[in-house]
Amino acid sequence: MDQDELLENEKVERTLSPHPLSFMGLQSLCIFLIAWGALIGWFANFSEWKDIWFGNYVSIIFAWSIVLLIVGVIASLLTIRWRIFFLYLGVVAGGIGLIFWQNWQDGSGVAIPYYTILVSIIGFLIVELYRRSHKYIISSQRIVFKGGVITKEERTLRYDKITDISYKQGILGQIFGFGTIIPISQSGFGLGNDTAFAAGGVQLGEKKAKFLGLFGGGKEVQTPRTRSYYELHGVHPYKEVGKIVENLVQGNVITPYQQEQVAFQKEQVDIQKQMRDLLKKQKNAGEDKPSDEE
Amino acid sequence: MVGSTIDVIIFAPLAPIFGVILFWFIQLLFIESQKYFLSKIRDKHEPLCRFTNFLGILFQTICHALGYTVTKSGISSFYISVNYGKVAPKKEKKGIFEWMSNTFLFIGPFFIPSSLLLICLPFLMDHGFDIASTTSYTFSENLIAFGTNLYIFSEGFVSFLSRIDLLHPAHLGFFILLIILGMGTRPSFIGEKKREKVDMLYDLKNIRDNILYKPLYIIILFLMAYAFSYVSLLLKQNWYVALFSILGWLSIIAIVSLIVAHAIIILIKTTDEIPSPWKRLPYIVIPVSYLLMRTLFFFYPLGFSKCISLLVMIISTVLVVFLLLKYRTNKFKTKIDIKSLMKLGERKKDGSR
Repeated sequence: MDQDELLENEKVERTLSPHPLSFMGLQSLCIFLIAWGALIGWFANFSEWKDIWFGNYVSIIFAWSIVLLIVGVIASLLTIRWRIFFLYLGVVAGGIGLIFWQNWQDGSGVAIPYYTILVSIIGFLIVELYRRSHKYIISSQRIVFKGGVITKEERTLRYDKITDISYKQGILGQIFGFGTIIPISQSGFGLGNDTAFAAGGVQLGEKKAKFLGLFGGGKEVQTPRTRSYYELHGVHPYKEVGKIVENLVQGNVITPYQQEQVAFQKEQVDIQKQMRDLLKKQKNAGEDKPSDEE
Repeated sequence: MVGSTIDVIIFAPLAPIFGVILFWFIQLLFIESQKYFLSKIRDKHEPLCRFTNFLGILFQTICHALGYTVTKSGISSFYISVNYGKVAPKKEKKGIFEWMSNTFLFIGPFFIPSSLLLICLPFLMDHGFDIASTTSYTFSENLIAFGTNLYIFSEGFVSFLSRIDLLHPAHLGFFILLIILGMGTRPSFIGEKKREKVDMLYDLKNIRDNILYKPLYIIILFLMAYAFSYVSLLLKQNWYVALFSILGWLSIIAIVSLIVAHAIIILIKTTDEIPSPWKRLPYIVIPVSYLLMRTLFFFYPLGFSKCISLLVMIISTVLVVFLLLKYRTNKFKTKIDIKSLMKLGERKKDGSR
């Protein structure tokens, strides 16, 4: 954070960025591509089944793409993000397009593994670029969240506006000491929804009389969730950062005892003001009296 | 050869039990040694220790959950973290059920990880699962049969490991699993501070307490083992020794995986003494030397190419570590060791006085 960006009396406590392993969800997509690329290469060139199952290019391309798409569907269903499926679909389409464009059908046993591994390396680089675009600045007055590879995004959150802090640490985070801290603002920024929906249909009657009914129901649960740009995503050392944020929030938020004290002080000030007014009145009355006698 | 009736009825069933206990104890010693080495590198490699803790706790918690499932107690909550794992039953069952679930908790972590590896082995090993036959069912014959089974398995397993093809996906997967399970084969964890729980005696104490808690149950287990032995005897089968041989195989797998894990931990501990950019060199030498050898043998095929590649990989790594220690640290700098030099100095001081 530049000096000119700092407010008056503001001091930077910590400048953080996500841990290299904190985007494992995205990285695992690339890891799978590398593993599957190496495996398909082994199957097509070195395994004992290379002539039986992987004798021609059609079977190699078919096996490669079907596994990628199935994994894409499973990952999408588990994470409720169809972009994973479309990502793998893009990889498959790109691979098939490349093979036919360059007439590499005969060498598909070599081209496909190389292509898959190359794509995964590019994927790793993009994830790393995305990770490095995150920057969190914890200052004495606020938290500044910065990010964006092409479009730059920024969020500023003052400590007195934080109502709740959510902490999340996965197994990998527990091992390497990083975790995610989500500050939830008074406006509800930092909260997401988990929605579940169930529906059922009934059809009655065989030939003539038919009755169709549909029943549905939904459930919504609010949960701390936001984009990685707007939370302290995968920060290290997690516990230490959590403590700093907690202390700063406590330091900026007025406690019930302090509220009582402030109310009491206000009351005292009011009383003093009233007394001062009374004294003024008395003084004025005292000054006026002799002139009347005169 | 016909054994005496007392030998066959009373002593013979004990032979494989003793064998299993012996191997389990060897396994326990290796676990203790691994815990010692891990606690030595904890300061510099905390994530590694946390990872091994997690594996140990994971297996322990799974075994506990398995115990509750087998005893039909049900599982109401399952919690696992890097430092702590907890399984709560739906129904608090007492007596034999509680004893059984505790037995799963205390004994399971020793055998469950290696049983995962044993499931994979029939798909990878050519031989090693032959069971020696028995004729007279005496103590000595049962012991010999048990030993033979273990020998055949060990021979097959070690020969598989010596010829393991690290460029074969299944072999590589098995090797990674062997290392990971070797790191996690232990019922207790390396805590931040040295606690009683890290001790091997803690594990033994738990098992002893569980046995002494209800000695009747252990007697029932022994009687069941004897009954199974008599059934095998009557049907002229070697099922009894075969069953205990499987437990012995599990111990052997665990011991081998612990040895491999030891080698890795020792490598980490040794490279810690080398200054920073150079300490990474041994880890680069491992894959590079192996890949170079495999590429060489791909163009110039030779018998035992996988075994030779593995040997070259190990020797070159050890050599590189040795050379780095010699030229990049103060190790091996003096011909006379420091202790004798200090003694010499003390003697000189005494003489001058």
